[in-house]
Order: sequence, then structure tokens, then C-alpha cells
Amino acid sequence: MRWLAPGAAGLALLTSLGASAAPGDGGAAGRTHQVTIEGVQFHPGTLTVRRGDRIVWTNEDPFPHTVTADAKAKATAKAGADARVFDSHSLAPQASWTYVASRRGEYPYACSLHPTMKGKIIVQ
Amino acid sequence: MRMVPPVLTALIALSSAAAPAESAGPTDPQIAAIVVTANQVDIDAGKLAESNAHSKDVREFAQLMVTDHSGVNKSATELVTRLHVTPEANPTSENLKQGGEQNLAQLKGLKGRAFDKAYVDHEVAYHEAVLAAVDKTLIPSARNAELKALLVKVRPAFVAHLEHAKHLQAALTNKGA
Repeated sequence: MRWLAPGAAGLALLTSLGASAAPGDGGAAGRTHQVTIEGVQFHPGTLTVRRGDRIVWTNEDPFPHTVTADAKAKATAKAGADARVFDSHSLAPQASWTYVASRRGEYPYACSLHPTMKGKIIVQ
Repeated sequence: MRMVPPVLTALIALSSAAAPAESAGPTDPQIAAIVVTANQVDIDAGKLAESNAHSKDVREFAQLMVTDHSGVNKSATELVTRLHVTPEANPTSENLKQGGEQNLAQLKGLKGRAFDKAYVDHEVAYHEAVLAAVDKTLIPSARNAELKALLVKVRPAFVAHLEHAKHLQAALTNKGA
């Protein structure tokens, strides 16, 4: 909910996710999907991807947002051995944040700053 | 606490007056001044609430208002600078400014839950009034396409803020009951 180092935390998470997602990918290059954050909404609101795909959120609003997997996603992730949830932390205007989808499942997420903003990633 | 907070009378007058005579709506330089002032008023109230609010949720909301409305104002200022539109003070922007000052003076006399309730009640009414003005007057009156687009783009933020404020208002009412 509160301020966290804007770029640094997201970048560190991105690096670790990117590195650990590779082994499960079977060597196939994943696609890259774009999610635009604009008008206090995620576009598209629901996105279906395959394991190994990259999802890039870009904040087009003039104020910060976050991309934060919600508690339900945490519960789903905990069922697996490699529990992992995502949180971009504060994403400044015009900044982007990338997540590599490494585990199958449905991941509802929200902006922790604007609770009305909701989205979902489905990893097949 | 009044039925209609002073900062809102200007916006209410603006949103109800413009409908019949579209040509009598504000000019782009006047819209720029109204937008910047409306945001600044909420930033100033938010800054006070960041330090004076009793509840953590209200302080976090206040912090969000300061951040978001500062972001909108930065964006608006950059646009009007690029468009060579100089914000022009007008009765609506002046009334907004005065109303904001009155609201601050009122809030400064309150503490604890009374402060939270007054601040949040005002935020609900303020965002409702801003949305009405944006929809009925500012967007229809804006002549420059980019200025109009900016208003359209930031409108959902006011909707989100209003929902957030209403949620807080309900929570404060339940606590106080």
C-alpha cells in the first residue's frame, strides 16, 4: 500500500522472475503481451497467456499504479512447490514492468493504490 | 459542517449553468485555470489530512489524493504550456480557490474522527461536483482536442477516487454508529 522504491523493487523482481522462468519454458521463446494502464483501468482486463510468455504493463496515467496479485492468487500459488506471486510496487507514469508467466493458473490482480482497478492473468 | 461545502458551490453553479447555452461555456484558458485550481484545492486538503487524519485508511487516501492530483496537474500544466494556453483566472476558478481555503480553515478546527468525517464527506461531495462539471461543462466546452482528451483521460481517476471516498465514508459511519 505504501511507497516502495519505485523502480528498484520492480526491477529486482523482474530480474529474478526472468531468470527462474527459463527452465520451465522448454526452450521455446515466449510471446510478449502488452497491458496498458490508462484511465484507472487495465487494458485488456483479462489476458490469457502461455507459460514462458512475458507480460509488459505500461502506465499511461499521469500518476502511479501497481500491478499486485491479490490474496486469492497467493493461495493458488501456494499449492505449487514454487510459490510465486507478483507485485510491481509503485509504477511511475510512463514506466513499464514485466512479468514472466512461469506457472499455470489464474492470477487475479489489482492496483494496491486504486482498489477499484482489477485485472486477471490466465496462464495456460 | 454544511450541506453544501463552500468549495463546491462554484462547481455546482458551473455544471448547472452551462447546459442551455453551450457558447457561454468557459474558454480553453479558463478551463485550464479551473482544472489546475480544482486539483490544487484537493492537493491542499490532502496535505492537511496526511498529517491530521486520525485513521490510517484516511491518511492513505489523502496521500493518494496528493499524488494523483499532483500528477494530473503536472500533466495538465505540461499540455497547456505546449499548447501556449495561459490559464486565465475566472469566477469559477476564484470561487474554487476561496472555497478550498474555507474548507481548510474548517478542517483545521477539527481533530480525530470529526476531522476524518469532515474531510471524507467533503471529498465525496467534491468528487461528485467535479465529475458533474467535467461531464456537463468542461469536456463539452473544451475546444482544443488535446485538452478535451486530457479531461476524458483523467475522468476515470475522479470516478475511482469517488468510489474510494464513499467506501471510507461508509466505514467511518459504521464505526461511529
